[in-house]
Amino acid sequence: MSSAPLRESPPQAADNGAIRAVPSYCYNCVAGPDLMTVRVENGVATRIEPCHAAAAIHPGLGRVCVKAFGLVQKTYNPHRVLTPMRRTNPRKGRDEDPGFVPISWDEALDTIAARLQDIRARGLVDEAGLPRVAATFGHGGTPQSYMGTFPAFLSAWGPIDYSFGSGQGVKCVHSEHLYGEFWHRGFTVCADTVHTRYVISCGSNVEVSGGVCAVRRHADARIRGVKRVQIEPHLSPTAACSAEWVPIKPKTDPAFLLALVHTLLFEHERSALDLPFLRDRTAAPYLVAANGYYLRDPATGKPLLWDETSGGAVPFDTPGAHPALEGRYTVATAVTRGPDNEISPLEAASARTALTAMADAMQSYTADWAAGVCDIPAGTIRRIAAEFLDNACIGATINIDGETLPFRPVAVTLGKTVNNGWGAYECCWARTMLATLVGALEVPGGTLGTTVRLNRPHENRLLSVKPGEDGFMAAHFNATDRNGWMAQPSGRNAHRTLVPILGNSPWAQALGPTHLAWMFSRAAPTEWPTPNLPEIWFAFRTNPAISFWDTAEIGRAMARMPFIVAFAYTFDETNHMADILLPDATDLESTQLIRIGGTKFVEQHWAHHGVALRAPAVAPQGEARDFTWISTELARRAGLLERYNAALNRGAAGAPLKGEGYDFSLATDRAHDVDTIWNAVCQAATAELGGTAEARDLDWFKQHGHYVVPFKREDWYLYPTMVRLGLRFELPYQERLLRVGEELGRRLHEHGIHWWDRQLDEYVALPQWHDVPERWVQAIRDLGADPADYPLWGITTKVMPYTTGNNAGIPLMHEVSANLRGHGAVVINAATAARLGIAAGDRVEVRSPIGSTTGRAALVQGCRPDTVVIPGQFDHWKTPFAKDLAFPSLNTVVPMSLALTDATGSGADVVRVAVRKLRAEAGAP
Amino acid sequence: MTRYVMVADLRRCVGCQTCTAACKEGNGTPPGVQWRRVLDLESGTYPDVRRVFVPVGCQHCANPPCLEVCPSTATRQRPDGIVTIDYDLCIGCSYCIMACPYDARSLIDRPLYAFGDEPTPAEAARIRHQTSGVATKCTFCAKRIDAGVARGLVPGQDPEATPLCVNSCISGALSFGDIDDPAGPVADLLAENQWFRMHESEGTEPGFYYIWDKGTL
Repeated sequence: MSSAPLRESPPQAADNGAIRAVPSYCYNCVAGPDLMTVRVENGVATRIEPCHAAAAIHPGLGRVCVKAFGLVQKTYNPHRVLTPMRRTNPRKGRDEDPGFVPISWDEALDTIAARLQDIRARGLVDEAGLPRVAATFGHGGTPQSYMGTFPAFLSAWGPIDYSFGSGQGVKCVHSEHLYGEFWHRGFTVCADTVHTRYVISCGSNVEVSGGVCAVRRHADARIRGVKRVQIEPHLSPTAACSAEWVPIKPKTDPAFLLALVHTLLFEHERSALDLPFLRDRTAAPYLVAANGYYLRDPATGKPLLWDETSGGAVPFDTPGAHPALEGRYTVATAVTRGPDNEISPLEAASARTALTAMADAMQSYTADWAAGVCDIPAGTIRRIAAEFLDNACIGATINIDGETLPFRPVAVTLGKTVNNGWGAYECCWARTMLATLVGALEVPGGTLGTTVRLNRPHENRLLSVKPGEDGFMAAHFNATDRNGWMAQPSGRNAHRTLVPILGNSPWAQALGPTHLAWMFSRAAPTEWPTPNLPEIWFAFRTNPAISFWDTAEIGRAMARMPFIVAFAYTFDETNHMADILLPDATDLESTQLIRIGGTKFVEQHWAHHGVALRAPAVAPQGEARDFTWISTELARRAGLLERYNAALNRGAAGAPLKGEGYDFSLATDRAHDVDTIWNAVCQAATAELGGTAEARDLDWFKQHGHYVVPFKREDWYLYPTMVRLGLRFELPYQERLLRVGEELGRRLHEHGIHWWDRQLDEYVALPQWHDVPERWVQAIRDLGADPADYPLWGITTKVMPYTTGNNAGIPLMHEVSANLRGHGAVVINAATAARLGIAAGDRVEVRSPIGSTTGRAALVQGCRPDTVVIPGQFDHWKTPFAKDLAFPSLNTVVPMSLALTDATGSGADVVRVAVRKLRAEAGAP
Repeated sequence: MTRYVMVADLRRCVGCQTCTAACKEGNGTPPGVQWRRVLDLESGTYPDVRRVFVPVGCQHCANPPCLEVCPSTATRQRPDGIVTIDYDLCIGCSYCIMACPYDARSLIDRPLYAFGDEPTPAEAARIRHQTSGVATKCTFCAKRIDAGVARGLVPGQDPEATPLCVNSCISGALSFGDIDDPAGPVADLLAENQWFRMHESEGTEPGFYYIWDKGTL
């Protein structure tokens, strides 16, 4: 028996004289939102409590993560910026005093509005076609849940450059976002934990960053007897909670995963795999010509497969065909479609099935080979592959919502640094192939996507699936043909020019190679003019001056920005460069309605979906103002009010205000107050969810907090949609990526661009091992240093109290984190430390060729001897409280370079480092 | 007879410190004082290493060493097993701190605040909860339990009668209830799982049980 859930409490909003309980939510990280209750005594928020009223509908029983408990201190932090401020020192830089002086809201908003109006008069884009206004928001889009109606302002404005990154690409699971969404609409990917039996987790630190729902689901799974094998260089909390920890050499996960694929293909009977799934739901039977492209029917252009019934090649969708999964065949007449739509007629064409091509490509990746690469015994690799297969239950089914679905309770999950940067393409492909080989992709128990961001609609990933070419889901790549390719970047990170798979949906630009915007602002490649900096840069809930790679260089680039508007909580390393500071009302002080439930980032799998209100529990401190008020005033003063209101009516605040049977539209010719706007949104959102009769107004939400309707469990899985639409997963062979990569290379070379050639190497139809770790060794040489002087791997990890919380200045988070080993320290294997003469608690320096960071040594056994780990992101020099902690940060020593950028535009938190003990200094912390 | 106990399922605990934070905020404990905290322990030698997270705090022992040494009778034991401190009687001698084998008691000699010398409005609102010059420790949220029971609620089942750390625990590791209630939330847990108590050899008979299928730590 597992521990019993607590009973559901009555609805939360309560007013007991001087004590009130205010329903709200915390969405400080992508693993949320968590519903919560704010206890208010005599007008003062005193504590956070779970939302027990949501126990019946929330997978985490209404509990809220540790970060939420910091919100009270966040509200009353005496270091808050509580009035608009203006910079008086025109010189910018880390060593320059900004000379901020308080100003009125009128002065602040009018100053910004005047610049906005001037820009509109001159044109929204500059002579190079780049937006004159840019904006950067923090982790994973969560600031959108705190910026009120600012999206309506952004929509009203027009083109905005979201190129300037704050960590995405190197801090997120970047390649998984892109390839996951391409292959199975999985912007993020997780195990179907509530059904699974066996999980191979390569660095996925779900017990730290998976959020309340994931932690509860995994805890329940452990009690149920699930086996999770954690593959990672150090013993994270997730490894601690796993059945087995396998300490792999950093960045060799592709070799490990390719070896698992090899083992399934070559060391087990083929009949042990899910052959019907491979035959019917994937492109495994498609015939691949010697030139690498699918053999196609000359008349229709459709890919061919070998029909064992007729003994000939037929289009993939021929009724009654019985496709051969493996083999080599000769096809009398066919064509291939290569790059730039080059059609190659073939006679007596030799071909092999995609599955055979894949097996050929995997043949050399034996467990014995991988053992030498990964420092994992071959027997361990073989055993894990066998356990994976044994638990896959091939042939089994399960009833979900009355539907019979395949039951394949095995999953593979990937963590940060594994699924971004070089090697991530191979990892994502191998992970998805492992699921595919046993039919465990998007079925109960298997590997699931959770949400979509590059495809639409965001609220329903199943509806984002549309039939496309060759029997696959439609994909929306950026054009790479001669006429369509965007030779001149439309944004400063060139995402449409360099990364076809991103497409150009609203989220795409912020998922491009966002470090390039910073790098190119100093010196663009010779083939492109150095882009003008944006004339206004808005920054909210973001601190790239400490959160990106090579933070010193980021800080210098930021200082060149001509006019920065920072929504400021306290002074920090980024708004140190700002021209105007605007104090927005924070989490407990402001109003917003957001969507909850369904399937969302990480592991939010609910049986309901709906909306939740963040109501102001307390009045804003000082002159802080609700973000919706700020947005409305900016729109009004910039002459955008009508467009702004129109954007609200279209749904920019989270729900269209007019729908079938209801119309809560706002008049477009006037400024509306905060409550009027959200009252309309509340009613429209609930009418949309439950019908007009279910419309709930703002007052109702202030009392009840959230509104939900059922969400079908079957909709957790993409498989039924694929079956219904007769579609195949675009696996194993990557003909489309091969073609697109060839076209991209042609376009770049036609324009004399060769500095992206390394990235072009990633466009292969079947991933091949390349010496991934060596790229980071070479990076040391590229910096003019000797790799022998940097003998250790430096990596990072997360802790729940800080993960994406932007709460380094909150003492409570520091205090509770100090109970965890390695907080604010450099984690070193004890034997390695002894060899270096380092004792527990010694101050040490971690150095790479670009700089150094210092911290206290934490000696452990649970870390590879060749690896040091620096948790979190610190090295603050301006943020109050945090700057006095003297904590190290890997960001300070990770170089930022094109060479360490993969084809998707992402890097990884890895660097070769040297570690030495610092001599004790009197008074040193 | 009622005997309240806490159960920590170490198979579930992830070391997130949510219980630590919830306790600190709910009980208004000053910086550095943690009535509930989660230890992060490691054993073994690389690569055969085990790491485990262990919630700790006052064990509300049946034979509390702290009570035995208390010269002022401030430390007492309720019939339901909860060990209490009467702050009006406590003289701050720290004998109990020395006697407790669980490092569960704290004493500060002056008020402490998160951001320095001045309390935040939230700290000021709860200043009555912060005590200096006396020993403090986990109370099992006794006032909360008593208020809930008075309303007919069941500790460990109804949130308003349950300790804040249990209410907040995101992994379901912490459970609470009357061990003598066969229908309560902890009886089955302890009957159906392997468990241990800390420092049993001390004869303290703790009211804090650890479910752990790998024996003792």
